[in-house]
Amino acid sequence: MKEELAPHVHDITRALGNKVSEQEIERELSSYLNVYRVSLDTAKRSIVKKHGGNPATLTTGISKTLRELMPGEQSVNLLARIVSVNERDVTVEGGSKRILYGILGDPTTTIPFTAWEPLPVPLAKGDVVRVQNAYTKEYRGQVQVNFGIRTAVAKESPTALPEFKPGAGQPYVGKPTAVRVADLREGASNVAVTARILSVERREVEVDGAAKAVFSGVLADETGKTQFSAWKDFSLKPDEVVRVEGAYVKTWRGIPQVSFDERATITRLKPDLLPPSERLNVSPRMWIEDLAERGGAADVTVRGILIDLREGSGLVYRCPECRRVLRKGACRLHGEVKGEPDLRVKAVLDDGSGALTAVFDRELTEGLLDKSLEACIAAAKEAMSTDVVRDELADILVAQPIEARGNVTSDDYGLMMIVESAKLLKVDVQAEAREMLEGLEGSA
Amino acid sequence: MIREVAWRLFASEYNDANLETEGTGERPPSYIVTPLGAKVNRVFVVGVITDVENVGTDGQPMWRARVSDPTGTFHVYAGQYQPEAASALSKLKPPVFGAIVGKSRIYSPQPGTTYTSIRPEVIKSVDESVRDYWILEACRSLQKRLDAMAEAQKMDPPTKEGLVKVGVKESIADGIVQAVNHYGKVDLSRYMAMLAEGLRYLLPEYREPIAPGEPTVDAPRPTKAEPSREADESEGKVLEIIAALDADGKGAPWEGILETATTRGVSKDSLEESINALLDKGLIYEPILGRMKKI
Repeated sequence: MKEELAPHVHDITRALGNKVSEQEIERELSSYLNVYRVSLDTAKRSIVKKHGGNPATLTTGISKTLRELMPGEQSVNLLARIVSVNERDVTVEGGSKRILYGILGDPTTTIPFTAWEPLPVPLAKGDVVRVQNAYTKEYRGQVQVNFGIRTAVAKESPTALPEFKPGAGQPYVGKPTAVRVADLREGASNVAVTARILSVERREVEVDGAAKAVFSGVLADETGKTQFSAWKDFSLKPDEVVRVEGAYVKTWRGIPQVSFDERATITRLKPDLLPPSERLNVSPRMWIEDLAERGGAADVTVRGILIDLREGSGLVYRCPECRRVLRKGACRLHGEVKGEPDLRVKAVLDDGSGALTAVFDRELTEGLLDKSLEACIAAAKEAMSTDVVRDELADILVAQPIEARGNVTSDDYGLMMIVESAKLLKVDVQAEAREMLEGLEGSA
Repeated sequence: MIREVAWRLFASEYNDANLETEGTGERPPSYIVTPLGAKVNRVFVVGVITDVENVGTDGQPMWRARVSDPTGTFHVYAGQYQPEAASALSKLKPPVFGAIVGKSRIYSPQPGTTYTSIRPEVIKSVDESVRDYWILEACRSLQKRLDAMAEAQKMDPPTKEGLVKVGVKESIADGIVQAVNHYGKVDLSRYMAMLAEGLRYLLPEYREPIAPGEPTVDAPRPTKAEPSREADESEGKVLEIIAALDADGKGAPWEGILETATTRGVSKDSLEESINALLDKGLIYEPILGRMKKI
């Protein structure tokens, strides 16, 4: 016990500028931990505060496994494997910033992480890292690890942790829980889904350097549809109705999907148990608040109002290398390049229950404007500004009711719909008002 | 941070609100909670912009617009920190159908008096069909809150969990509980009537017949219209007096207003009436007791 605490005692004494003796700190720490039974983290911070120090200067975090992490940890040490890592540019307090995000894994579980500051070492999938002074937050009911300015990250030998195998987790204990497609949520495991396979195709993917076959497609029940990935060949065929027991739900590219592997059992059911494929294959209309709760969904329809255009709408120029939109003629990665013109709309779509960013590609934007990219370039040249295109789009779109269909992805910044098709909504306002009024008078 | 939803709600419900709350997080958003439990940070309003006026100075303009819907009037203020909205407002030629997206604002010059307004983010002139669709959406939104509030009034005390259990969305349930704690048992019939009024507004069969060239139809009207015109006139006079007497920027003293009003032919009774009307409309306020100031 005492030996374990020694580094923390030292840490506290140092944070207090050696004003207080180690014996004194050791006695206090032991009292906080054994008499008051607070966590080591809280104890350390309280002692430093009590003696007038700044708890932020504590450097020795507390080692935990990923499963032990709770939201709101201030300073925690981890040994974990990078399961996945990606880069993204975000806008923080007006400036643009590159962050890393991905998934950390250890033998106990996997957890998403975000690195808000540049790291001294590049991170790649499969690396084992020792992380000191990370902090955690809760996002949508899930713990997330954050690397901040005080966090130190160093690479360890790949053998320091056992290999991470996606999908091949512990065998499930207990009976699977029956869940309808619309109720599938990220992180759910050992669920049972009864659904019709709408489509399935075999793909080869690389998992930890080895080729692996995955059978992916779309399945549906009366409540909705979802993408799925089967990591074993269950000989799934389009149109058949199956019961999948022992599936789990994982988010892939911002959309939760059903996955199942050799732990799952598949039972073929009578084909007339569910409505036919053409009935199930419609794009369900959803409220944005429900999409937010679900964390995104594939192929849904939303009705709302485009209440604002975001920056970067209209005529934009992209980097020929990486397709990033140029700012002031320069790409963040490749510097000054000759940009390739493109049209797009990034709009706020709000349905009164929530809001999402709807992204329209060139083809859709041309349709909305009833104008080709070339015509837009000509108009911008004449006006000597690309603003004319944006203004025209704002004129057409802002405050308009619209119906948009597409995939909705979810991340820390909210929901985004990659619009597949869209139309301005024409509603028979009088008929709907009459119906509502009749309902009102009927109940009165 | 997740973007705040834009509420569709009628002016009358919005202007009834006098409860302000804060959310959580690093930069906590502020909300106005209406008596029916709408917890409003952002609004989307479509109505008739009836007038736009610079209530600031030429150097530092502050544009005020009044936007009316079937139930009442929203007050929209755009100044130097809303340059796009301010410029859009200054160019509008009322009356015009306008769509406004903006942040909710509440102003309390003294305890017991609150004024709600909107700080616009986007302003755009639209056509009538967009306005009609907005009324329908505002009616639907109102209906949802009426149903949820009716459920809440059956509970003693209403809780978020209890409301969620009977099918109320969590986002609405939170505001409902706060509203009940602050406003007590709200008279729902008033809002039921507001809902019916909104729906009828959309239906031609409920529109008052307008028959040009048949003045007989309009015959009973002048008697109604005249006193209100008279009232408008005296309100205008009173507003001028208040502005003129507010020399030091602390507001016009009551005695001075009364004196000047009497010399200009406004009786004490109609002066009091006008002042109350102007206070209600949010055109003036009482910075300190006994002094009136133009907003």
